[in-house]
Amino acid sequence: METINFILSGLGGQGILFLSKVLARCALNKGFPVLGAETHGMAQRGGSVIAHLRLGNVKGSLVQEGTARFLLSLEENEAYRNLPFLAKEAFLYADASPEAFPKAGVKPYFKKRGITARALPVGRIALDLGAPLAANSGLLGFFAAFSDGPFLQAEIRETLESLSPDAFKALNLKVFDTCLEKGQKSG
Amino acid sequence: MNEAFLLGNGAIALGLLEGGCQVLTSYPGTPSSEILPEAVRLIRSEKLNTYAEWSTNEKVAFDNAYAAAISGKRAACCMKQVGLNVAADSLMSAAYLGTTGALVVISCDDPGPHSSQTEQDTRLMARLAKVPVLDPSTPQEARKMAALALDLSEKFQIPVILRPAIRVCHARQNFRWDPLKDPGKRAAFKKDPTRWAATPRFRYLLHQRLNETLLKVSERFSQLEGVNAHTLAENKKYPLGIIAGGVPHAVIRDILDENHRTDIPVLKLGAPYPFPEKLAFRFVRACNNVLVLEETDTLIEYLLGDRKKVLGRLSGHVPMAGELTPRVIARTLQRVQTELGVEPIALSEDQDVHELVEGLHLPVRKPTLCPGCPHRAAFFAIRKVQPKALFTSDIGCYTLGLNLGGVDTCLDMGAGITLASGFFQAYLQDGVHQPVVATMGDSTFFHSGTAGLMNAVYNDARFILVLLDNQTTAMTGMQPTPALGVRADGRMGKSISLERIVAGCGVDFIEVVDPYDIQAMTALLKKAEAYVTSPKGGIAVVIARHACVIAYRETAIPEKKPVAVTDKCDACGFCHQRFECPALVEDPEGGTTAVNRSLCADCGVCIQVCPKGAIVAA
Repeated sequence: METINFILSGLGGQGILFLSKVLARCALNKGFPVLGAETHGMAQRGGSVIAHLRLGNVKGSLVQEGTARFLLSLEENEAYRNLPFLAKEAFLYADASPEAFPKAGVKPYFKKRGITARALPVGRIALDLGAPLAANSGLLGFFAAFSDGPFLQAEIRETLESLSPDAFKALNLKVFDTCLEKGQKSG
Repeated sequence: MNEAFLLGNGAIALGLLEGGCQVLTSYPGTPSSEILPEAVRLIRSEKLNTYAEWSTNEKVAFDNAYAAAISGKRAACCMKQVGLNVAADSLMSAAYLGTTGALVVISCDDPGPHSSQTEQDTRLMARLAKVPVLDPSTPQEARKMAALALDLSEKFQIPVILRPAIRVCHARQNFRWDPLKDPGKRAAFKKDPTRWAATPRFRYLLHQRLNETLLKVSERFSQLEGVNAHTLAENKKYPLGIIAGGVPHAVIRDILDENHRTDIPVLKLGAPYPFPEKLAFRFVRACNNVLVLEETDTLIEYLLGDRKKVLGRLSGHVPMAGELTPRVIARTLQRVQTELGVEPIALSEDQDVHELVEGLHLPVRKPTLCPGCPHRAAFFAIRKVQPKALFTSDIGCYTLGLNLGGVDTCLDMGAGITLASGFFQAYLQDGVHQPVVATMGDSTFFHSGTAGLMNAVYNDARFILVLLDNQTTAMTGMQPTPALGVRADGRMGKSISLERIVAGCGVDFIEVVDPYDIQAMTALLKKAEAYVTSPKGGIAVVIARHACVIAYRETAIPEKKPVAVTDKCDACGFCHQRFECPALVEDPEGGTTAVNRSLCADCGVCIQVCPKGAIVAA
């Protein structure tokens, strides 16, 4: 099979590792071989955090530049920082306002590489729903809305439900559903 | 059959238990910290009898595991690469004495470095100590090698090092395993003072025997299927071959496969020392040029020795520092191929994108102390009372106190105290009484604080030592400390009081304060300063005790104090410079301070910080 590479980015404490775990579990449930790479230690304390996720028969856990089909970013600047990972025809989902993202200076590059950029203020939506820590579930819902990836919407939702701790299950799903719906309307 | 999506460190824990490891010790340090907790989880779920402990430092961990290994059991100790420096004394000697059971030393390297003070290469430590080393490329291989290392150690009666790099430790892969069993071997130490307490005359003989053992292991390593293996075809000559070990092997394998480059043979050296000479020299004979890809130093390159054929760090083809990421390796290969006239691979990266991203002037993200962190409050008070002091600090979250101007040095574990006494003496020699404030965390103090503190007291050094006691080993993932008395498996041991240790080191000034109360802390620091400078005084130890807000999420802030910024804020920037809380943000318009509600921990400490009184209880 062809390798499918994901890059997940954001800041320490935003729940990138959880996001990575949900997508990995989706992939495992569908029978993909999965290899991930995570950030731990000093780098986690408020700095840029990045997780790599590779679906396919690969040995190295890091995604090579220019080969990621999907970039999901919980922070706008961290989305820009990780642009070098994107392959041609890649998809990018960012926690950002769709009016302001992407910046004008970046648009020609996206056009040249055939990259589709999608933005939704998932952090703001999560905060309004009373779940500031569930922005990661929101981004997942936004990603699911377009079915660009190898998973069905229901598969992502079920996996999020099964991996969320009981205390956060309902809120995570609420944020997921809201962002999925907003994504579908925007698309 | 069990199944889990495990970290590489979990895979190592699994491999150790599959290999019959009965005793497992560790001191936490990125990227090794999760091996012991993952093992404890498996020991519990599989109802094994394996003993697991958090030791007070890496040398202690090594020796405790070693005792089991010379009692006929299978044992392992885990640490980060710089932790092996602490255990080096034990390692060098144990190489001579050997084992009767098995000892695997797991030393996790950090090419980058991502969370360490050096990029040192544990394989060179293996060469120095003369012990075998295994270098896994993937979590799956690390699992197999953990068990293999136990087998090799027991067979050749020698400690064996397993060196996973951070990309193995913190990779995740799916694993299945059959139920685990206790090996049931009983401790049986056979007294033999000529070996276990060998004097120098016997050490010479042991050294000779060690050299003989290494020759045998080298033979074995030349035929270690899957671990050391080449892809040469019979009787074929190649313009370029690649020798790689560890993570760089995984990366180059992927690159060659993706580019369908079957014309380039690869020699994988997963067991590079003692050097599998027969295998390596056969490979080199078949190639006109050999590119060596290894992390992070030049072990294979040195051992090959052939400067004419070998391309690598010494020839200037591979960077001498930093991680060998897929990008670096792809570019290196392309350059070497171009130089040799071999068809180069196509690079997947876009050539213009880095310039584009640079042009966006993205904010530089530096790690910071968490909102609500008690260390932040302590550093604020220290700087307030002693603005002219030298600030010696140490390894832990509190190294980030450098963002608040509260950290001038960070050398290694324990140096917060030893550099403090050293600075004091160096200045005093010139007749200058230089104020010094040392900071050190609770876990670091247990690890290597006491020898330095006793030395400082004994030699009449004068400084303030602030022990930042957040009741956990925070940076590495909230492991318990001896002060808590909670052991690795959750059982209670005996808790050890910091105050009593400090008193035992000969310190007479010991006071405890909650750093959240900045007024109390500054008053205490002034009292400490007076004590340090008085002729009859000495070293003053201030224990700044407040629980970590991450480890004790529910209880660390018993009284939540949400804050607001009033219009008294005149954008002076004092809070950003001196307090540096991620929840206090600068308004991009007027530069005034605002509170980021989703980051704020409601600790309320900043109310005491603002000189204009603009931060108030909401």
